[in-house]
Amino acid sequence: MLVTFWGHEFKVNMFVACLGGFLIAIVSSMFGFGGGPFMVPLLTVGLGLPMYVVVGSSLLAIFFNTLMGSARHFQFGNFDLTFFLIMFPAAILAGFIAPMIARRISPITVKRLAVIGLVALALSLLGLY
Amino acid sequence: MNRLIASVIFSLCVAGLGLGPAGTRAMAADTPAATPTPVTVATPAAPANTITAAIDKSSLDNGGSITVTGIAPPGKPVFIEVWADKTLKASRFDSDPDKDTGVRPYILYMSTDMPAYYKLFVPKDQQARLDAIKKEGKQWSFSKALKDLGADGVYSAPARIKIDRFQATLMGSIVGSRGDLLPALDEKENKKRSMQLVKARFRDADKILGAAVVVEPDGHFRAEIKVREGLAPGKYNVVASVDKKTRSAPVNFENKIAFPHMYLENAGTSLNIFGPLLLTMAVTIFGVLMGAGGGFILNPLLLSIWPLPHTVVAGTVMPTVLFAQGSGIYNYSKIKFISWKLGTAIGLAMVVGGFIGPKLTELITLDQFKFVFGWILLVLAGLMLWQTTPGYLARNKKEQAILKEFQKRAAEAKNQPAKA
Repeated sequence: MLVTFWGHEFKVNMFVACLGGFLIAIVSSMFGFGGGPFMVPLLTVGLGLPMYVVVGSSLLAIFFNTLMGSARHFQFGNFDLTFFLIMFPAAILAGFIAPMIARRISPITVKRLAVIGLVALALSLLGLY
Repeated sequence: MNRLIASVIFSLCVAGLGLGPAGTRAMAADTPAATPTPVTVATPAAPANTITAAIDKSSLDNGGSITVTGIAPPGKPVFIEVWADKTLKASRFDSDPDKDTGVRPYILYMSTDMPAYYKLFVPKDQQARLDAIKKEGKQWSFSKALKDLGADGVYSAPARIKIDRFQATLMGSIVGSRGDLLPALDEKENKKRSMQLVKARFRDADKILGAAVVVEPDGHFRAEIKVREGLAPGKYNVVASVDKKTRSAPVNFENKIAFPHMYLENAGTSLNIFGPLLLTMAVTIFGVLMGAGGGFILNPLLLSIWPLPHTVVAGTVMPTVLFAQGSGIYNYSKIKFISWKLGTAIGLAMVVGGFIGPKLTELITLDQFKFVFGWILLVLAGLMLWQTTPGYLARNKKEQAILKEFQKRAAEAKNQPAKA
């Protein structure tokens, strides 16, 4: 499929993109997370698209998944309204606070911190720690 | 400031780790080999086979201690069942091979009538047996435990719940269907399956069984019952019994949950709302900073800190990020940084995946959920680490420059009709 982005043309292997997106969507909706950190590498590394094409478009793709996943979870009775009303305002508030902090902090530092945190969390989930 | 956020995150992580899989506390084998069962036997002339029960309080404040007293026919062990009127959903996917045929049944058992709290208190002299059951760890069997404790007959409250069962098929799971509803269970089978559901829902032997009843030779009994924090509000029933037929009339107490504690109806847990509120905020901020949604960190932390079912966590965190994603899309579309064609095309494939995924959540247990999530996080950590390597950063820098250039152009060309 040919995608035109700001006057540039990119050839996208839709088979890989859709298959990858499909699999990521299953896992992410099953475990209840967004899936962005997996979609972006798939499209940039897997399909060689530049980052600036990927960020917005992958968000749009993920939005479809989140919408459907939420609806299905709701259908299966996995949605807890009180719990949602606790977390939702917190998430919105965080969306306003985060950009203020983002200016003063290097994303690389955050990512390195995140790596340590993620590994620690993963080991605890696997029962190794 | 960044230090502050980082330390918040890490203290949260540590809190999560601390509450990880509780190690089975191996009790030293100092339990007296022979605590002979109450050697008694008064004359069996007691007023027929009746049992009475009374409690010392009519209400509790988010858990607490309550004393049950009463008179039972002498010489018999007394059991006390306590359960909440509030109900919730419990499900279990049976994929264990059949003992005789080796065929895996793949049946999903599900009930929405499970009491939000159920605990069976056995005589105190059964403590050693109970400890042995706890030592079995996660693989313990509730029905075997009931037999060992001689409580097979008195187990009653959850035995009456209505259980639906669905025959799952591979194809059905792929298209996201629960499968065909099978005919209703008979009473005996319902009881057996209800035990499995109780275990699937409450998991720990500690939460379902306790040794608390002290029985005097003359039939007087007394039990100090501890009701833990974070349970459902509302009416609770207490019934003392010695066997299937000899049961006391239920006595009731009320568990009160007051703000800032709130009861999560589907999760079956009461918690201080400021806990998840602050956690969500901290994790989401951190998520925005590192450029990945907070769900990755939020879900496992929520599961580690509070006794929430993984289905409810997954199903409730997901819609929370909808708004953030929507506003992100809006912002990108304002500067025409979305390829609608590419996004929608991949999005259609993802919609199908999003249809299937939530179905699979209910087929796995909390432990399987945690296990797979652990591996997902390791992969994610690898990706993050790779994104901090010099090669990646150099490439990223070049693309950032192009991005800035495009953004400038977008700002200039705002009133011209641009092609997305």
